[in-house]
Amino acid sequence: MIAVLGLVVGVVVGLVVRPVVPSGVEPYLPIAVVAALDAVFGGLRAMLDGIFDDKVFVVSFLSNVVVAALIVFLGDKLGVGAQLSTGVVVVLGIRIFSNAAAIRRHVFRA
Amino acid sequence: MSLLTNVMEHSLDEGYAQAAARRGETGSSHLPKALRAKLGLAAGLVLAAVVVTLGAAQAQVSAPAEAKERQKLIDRIHDETRSADTLQKDVDGLRDTVGDEQQAALNDRGGSDRLVELLAAASPVHGPGVDLVVDDAPEASSGGDGGGPRESTGFSDTGRVRDRDMQRVVNGLWACGAEAVSVNGQRLTALSAIRAAGEAILVDNRPLAPPYTVLAIGDGKRLSTAFQSSADGQYLRMLQHDYGIRARISVRDDLRLPAAPSLILRYAGPDPAAPPPARRPSGNGKGEK
Repeated sequence: MIAVLGLVVGVVVGLVVRPVVPSGVEPYLPIAVVAALDAVFGGLRAMLDGIFDDKVFVVSFLSNVVVAALIVFLGDKLGVGAQLSTGVVVVLGIRIFSNAAAIRRHVFRA
Repeated sequence: MSLLTNVMEHSLDEGYAQAAARRGETGSSHLPKALRAKLGLAAGLVLAAVVVTLGAAQAQVSAPAEAKERQKLIDRIHDETRSADTLQKDVDGLRDTVGDEQQAALNDRGGSDRLVELLAAASPVHGPGVDLVVDDAPEASSGGDGGGPRESTGFSDTGRVRDRDMQRVVNGLWACGAEAVSVNGQRLTALSAIRAAGEAILVDNRPLAPPYTVLAIGDGKRLSTAFQSSADGQYLRMLQHDYGIRARISVRDDLRLPAAPSLILRYAGPDPAAPPPARRPSGNGKGEK
């Protein structure tokens, strides 16, 4: 219940407060979104597997977002930002897909 | 490949398995029971929701921003085009001013000789003369109605007035005593050329559209008679008769011809001994008939 509330609160806060994203980190927002989705799907799968842990979830979420943004930032500085962000998106996308597949197996038993 | 396999197989964060192993739990699906754990989960979900929402919002915001930037660029282009137009207008105005000054200087210095002025077509003139209108044959449809160059067979179309015809007509008028001639409002000078470019007849490199109105100042009645009985007049009649080209000549009491638009000074230079010229408002000296 509290979890669903947290989800709703997060969406509402994002929509209402509409915090101004500093232009410095703006390029890393899409990558951060993908990393956040990966963490959420991972948490969902862990919950269905029965091994969910809130601390692991929060920490993995934060570290995923930060590391993904950091990799792209580093790539930007080295001049390979576009390629590195493609790499990050590919890896995270594969993880999201296989987690989603595991969730699907749990939910539909298929 | 092992990298990809690794990614595929370890899609779940290993921290979950380790934490579970520490707790010694496995198996059934369950949500955290303790309040602290629930709050932690909620906090994580809040963060995730905020990030995703922000990403979506940012994508929505940045689209109009790009459109705005584009609009700004378009506005700048329009502004610059406008200022370029203004500058072009300035250039045209200054060119006209220079032309007027030149005319005035000519009138001041060399302009005392009206005959030279008249023959050089440096000043507007008026007087009696003839008005000769030459036009394509009625069936030569593609003459002046904007038909593309491919729609007609060009100069094989015999019902059209050609540059040669205009040359003969104008030369005939000069030969019969015309003192000033203009074609479609373009004053002819001693250096004017009547040429063809594609389908159009050019006078001093300016294209003309039919009908061609030739105004010639001279002794009206006599000029008309002399022209019609001259070889060129007969040539024109032959064109009329054979090819259906339309021509109409009439005597006028008072024709007004403009000065030639671009008179180029070739041999004039300032007179070092002369006092600075007294300004005159504009070159309105008339070559009286």
